[in-house]
Amino acid sequence: MTGGVAAGAVTAGTGAAADITAAARVVAASKVYGTGDAAVRALDAVTVGFPAGRFTAIMGPSGSGKSTLMHCAAGLDSLTSGAAYIGETELGALGDRQLTLLRRERVGFVFQSFNLVPTLTVAENITLPLDLAGRSPDAAWVDGLIDVVGLGGRLRHRPGELSGGQQQRVAVARALAGRPEVVFADEPTGNLDSHSGGEVLALLGRAVREMGGTVVMVTHDPSAAAHADEVVFLADGRLVDRMTGPTAGAVLDRMKAFDGRGGGGAQ
Amino acid sequence: MSTAAESARGPGQGAGPGHGSGPGRGSGTAPGTGAAPASLRIGLAGLRAHKRRFAGTFVAVFLGVAFLAGTMVMGDTLRASFGALFGDANSGTDTVVRGADQIKAGRGPGVREPVPTDLIAAVRKVPGVAAVAPDIEGAGQLVKPDGTSLDTKGPTVAANWIDDPRLNPYHLVDGRAPTRPGDAVLLRDTATQAGLHLGDTTLLRTPDPVRIRIVGLATFGGQDKQGGSTYTALTTADAQRYLMPRPGEATTLKVRADAGIGQAELTRRVAAVLPARFEALTGQQASTETESATAGTFLTAFTTLLVVFAGIALLVATFSIHNTFAIVVAQRTRENALLRALGATRRQVLGSALAEAAAVAVTASGLGLLGGIGIAAGLQALFPAAGFPFPDSGLVIKAVAMAVPLAVGVLVCVGSAVLPAVRAGRTAPIAALRDSAAESVGVSRWRALSGAVAGAAGVTLTVIGAAGTTVPAAAVGAVLTLAAFVVLGPVAAPVAVRVLGAPVARLRGVTGRLARRNALRSPRRTAATATALMIGVAVVSLFAVLGASMKATLNQTVNRSFAGDVAVNEPVYGAGGSGISPRLAPAVAKLPQVQQAVGLGRGIAEIDGAGRQLTVTDPVALSRLLDLGTVRGSLAGLGTRSIAVARPEADKHGWTTGSRVTIAFADGQRLPFTIGAVYGQADLAGDYLMTRAAWAPHRTQDKDTLVAISFRPGVSIAAGKAAVEKAVVPFGSPDVQTKSEYATSSAAGINTFLTLIYALLALAVLIALLGIANTLTLAVHERTRELGLLRAVGQTRAQLRAMVRWESVVVAAFGTAGGLGLGAFLGWALVRATDSSGTGAFAVPPVSLGVVLLVGVLAGVLAGWRPARRAARLDVLRAIAAD
Ligand SMILES: Nc1ncnc2c1ncn2[C@@H]1O[C@H](COP(=O)(O)OP(=O)(O)O)[C@@H](O)[C@H]1O
Ligand SMILES: [Mg+2]
Repeated sequence: MTGGVAAGAVTAGTGAAADITAAARVVAASKVYGTGDAAVRALDAVTVGFPAGRFTAIMGPSGSGKSTLMHCAAGLDSLTSGAAYIGETELGALGDRQLTLLRRERVGFVFQSFNLVPTLTVAENITLPLDLAGRSPDAAWVDGLIDVVGLGGRLRHRPGELSGGQQQRVAVARALAGRPEVVFADEPTGNLDSHSGGEVLALLGRAVREMGGTVVMVTHDPSAAAHADEVVFLADGRLVDRMTGPTAGAVLDRMKAFDGRGGGGAQ
Repeated sequence: MSTAAESARGPGQGAGPGHGSGPGRGSGTAPGTGAAPASLRIGLAGLRAHKRRFAGTFVAVFLGVAFLAGTMVMGDTLRASFGALFGDANSGTDTVVRGADQIKAGRGPGVREPVPTDLIAAVRKVPGVAAVAPDIEGAGQLVKPDGTSLDTKGPTVAANWIDDPRLNPYHLVDGRAPTRPGDAVLLRDTATQAGLHLGDTTLLRTPDPVRIRIVGLATFGGQDKQGGSTYTALTTADAQRYLMPRPGEATTLKVRADAGIGQAELTRRVAAVLPARFEALTGQQASTETESATAGTFLTAFTTLLVVFAGIALLVATFSIHNTFAIVVAQRTRENALLRALGATRRQVLGSALAEAAAVAVTASGLGLLGGIGIAAGLQALFPAAGFPFPDSGLVIKAVAMAVPLAVGVLVCVGSAVLPAVRAGRTAPIAALRDSAAESVGVSRWRALSGAVAGAAGVTLTVIGAAGTTVPAAAVGAVLTLAAFVVLGPVAAPVAVRVLGAPVARLRGVTGRLARRNALRSPRRTAATATALMIGVAVVSLFAVLGASMKATLNQTVNRSFAGDVAVNEPVYGAGGSGISPRLAPAVAKLPQVQQAVGLGRGIAEIDGAGRQLTVTDPVALSRLLDLGTVRGSLAGLGTRSIAVARPEADKHGWTTGSRVTIAFADGQRLPFTIGAVYGQADLAGDYLMTRAAWAPHRTQDKDTLVAISFRPGVSIAAGKAAVEKAVVPFGSPDVQTKSEYATSSAAGINTFLTLIYALLALAVLIALLGIANTLTLAVHERTRELGLLRAVGQTRAQLRAMVRWESVVVAAFGTAGGLGLGAFLGWALVRATDSSGTGAFAVPPVSLGVVLLVGVLAGVLAGWRPARRAARLDVLRAIAAD
């Protein structure tokens, strides 16, 4: 368990949380799917910042709007109202091309599954965003990353030849390869057994603590959330709570409170 | 686990791919889920999705059927209108009298002995005969007011005006009938085309220029025009003078019966009074005969050609369609497995797949029939504009012309679906639980082995056939080689794509690399997609090589044999001209610049029982202007009872100088001749040479087809040519050509033919491209999540489009390269196998083949256009969907 380390880091940062610049943030963010009777308010006036150099987890029951929040904050989807920022860049003002360039230069992604392009080798997948941008990778940095994720011997393999956990580790390496301002991960361990999941979470933790990165992770697993410096809780599209220095038990208790109160989300 | 399923689906994506269609479709009404049976919902969703997947198949079948039906309808229509035309020509004629024996050489119409007009009196005395008229027909090309000749590419008919209005199929509508020398009646359309009016005077090249005055305009069968012919009628005396070799002769006699006497009866009676060398036949028989002799052969050849190309298009379609079905079945593995798991039998799954194919087949073929009728109507309107002389009348739509294309369309479509459907039926229920589509991606060793064996056998047989000029061996070899190419496609695909895609990967970075890898994903699929294009391109290349080789052979022949400086060259009768006046050569010979001028005429006679084409000329002068090779015997001493024969022909018959042959002429004379000389080279001179003096007594309408001219030393080609051009003005300004112009114009027919072939092949290539587009569209659907991922991590829309387009280009380049290789090889084999004399040239046209390659690659860009745009429009968020 890295809980002790995490707690220390959070303690150090708690007081300054408001002052630390946010790597990404949303202000009064609302997202409505559909219209009329069928309209679903997936996000409801959420304001939240994800501080630079921190590992933040977004928790909440299924259907609470976690993925929607992440997609909107990362420039994958647009808000119905409100604003989303990466650094000081307001995403609503950007067109598709600018958003794409922003994603590949300033943001990293780890998805729950299907993270890798099956026709590319591990090495090619890792440098994919850089290759798409026509940037030459920082060789020392990438080599270091490959060491950290522990896949040095597998660089010429295709994703199909790797286990699910290995694939997710490659995805983490890919997300970090371009030294993005922020890495978004949506249920990165959702498809993994607990051991592989632990490895991926540890990797994300090291990215923040040893490499100075910023990670925002969506999860509904309290023990995954416990790897983060801070947890923000969503319910029915609203920000309902934050917790610094989370432990699995505390998060689970918090979640149980929601269940008792709201009886689940929009599902 | 499925919590993310709903969230991942973008709004309003109802028409998305079927593959990802889980039960979550239409999540807006989530609470009602479970009301309708799952199988029904899946079936409906599938059907909706497949409509798009089968769009390519639909269009391929539609185009193939439309082309075939259009061809057949057009053929029937042309046949019917030609039938009407020839029926009209003899509508008032009950009996035709003509020479009994026909001499034919090659595929030409042949010649008959003219009928002496003395016979008219005897025929008129036959009881039941109401009227008899001589019918005189020959070639006559009109000269337009600007001095050039009217060239409509069709027959240039000159004839006598028949005064009996019922025997004359032409009807005077303006002016009067010709009565005085020089009077002429034109078909109204002919006058319009020539820009001539009533009262104008002009020249008629018969081919000797005759001054005529237009005194009347006529229609034919109520129409201003008569097929693609031009028509000029003179008085009978003029016609006899200019169109017949001797006065007192006619081409045929037309006889009309008294009321109440049938054609057969009249014909019997007339036949009884005729000398043995002449025969009588009914007007009806005469119509049918000319129809099948002229229009019939031409139409059969033409429609056969079209049907062959419809067949090629349908063959290409078969490959595309099969490929589509194979992919769709693979993509639907889970769906079919689910059906099997739910209790559907193999036969039910197979049956539903086939029923789907049949539904597409019947709808597409049915609409194809309508399209075919549209094509026929369009062609009917277009052909005359393009210079093809076709009569216009209502479309003739026969049951066969509808039934055959319908059957072929359904057969091709359903037939292409059989194998994939069987595979669908074999889907194991367990496949529902597996993740990936169960399309076998690898290439079996059996395929590589059988392909290699077929390829080796095919190439060997083709080469043997080509070397030994054994056409059947080469043909079997060619078919085997084609089969080997098809079978080996998937084996060759990985290597070919790697090589062809290398520059793309190098130039376009990761986008190019991804495109190349995508094309490598399923070698079978890539090969099947490329095969359709390969077949189309192979046929194009084959004809390009064939055409280039024919042109090269012609060029070689002219360069080797033509020792003159310029040539006067005019189209012959039937090809838009009327030949060259035999007086032109002597007139040109008198020019101070000219050293020698000799005309080459053509005659037909039977030599030792077989019809032969003779070159009627001055053999001595000819030997100075054409290289005849080594001559044994004496050309100078041929006189009126000897001929000269080319060595290969002489060898074939065992003739040497001094051998004796019997020559039967069209006028009925049979005369003994001696072989006076044997010459080495038949290239331009032809196989038989006869002096004008020997031919004169038996001649028909006198005309030369070529005049070869040499200049005196010191006269430049340009100056000499200018002088000749001036001298030939009174002859209607026939074309004066330098040696290279002569070679080029001789090859003009080849170019026209090639253009037609390329136009016909465009359809096959179009269908192949639709196949590529369709495969790509299906692939884009399949790769939805991957594409979304790429977009999420920073691939721009432009990069994504480029990636899909480059994949398309690589596949198209693979098909084009294969087609070029195959076509060039088979073209070589065809040229060699059919070159029995061993003198033909083989030429690869680098420009044409370069253009084909370029077009193939550009076509790839085009084929990838829509799939690329569609891919770029995909929702990025699909990447995160967790099924
Ligand atoms: N594309 C969409 N169309 C309609 N509703 C959607 C869409 N995506 C998400 N939703 C709805 O928005 C709400 C929040 O979804 P999501 O952000 O995916 O939740 P979570 O990730 O917390 O499970 C849910 O009610 C979901 O059904
Ligand atoms: Mg989610």
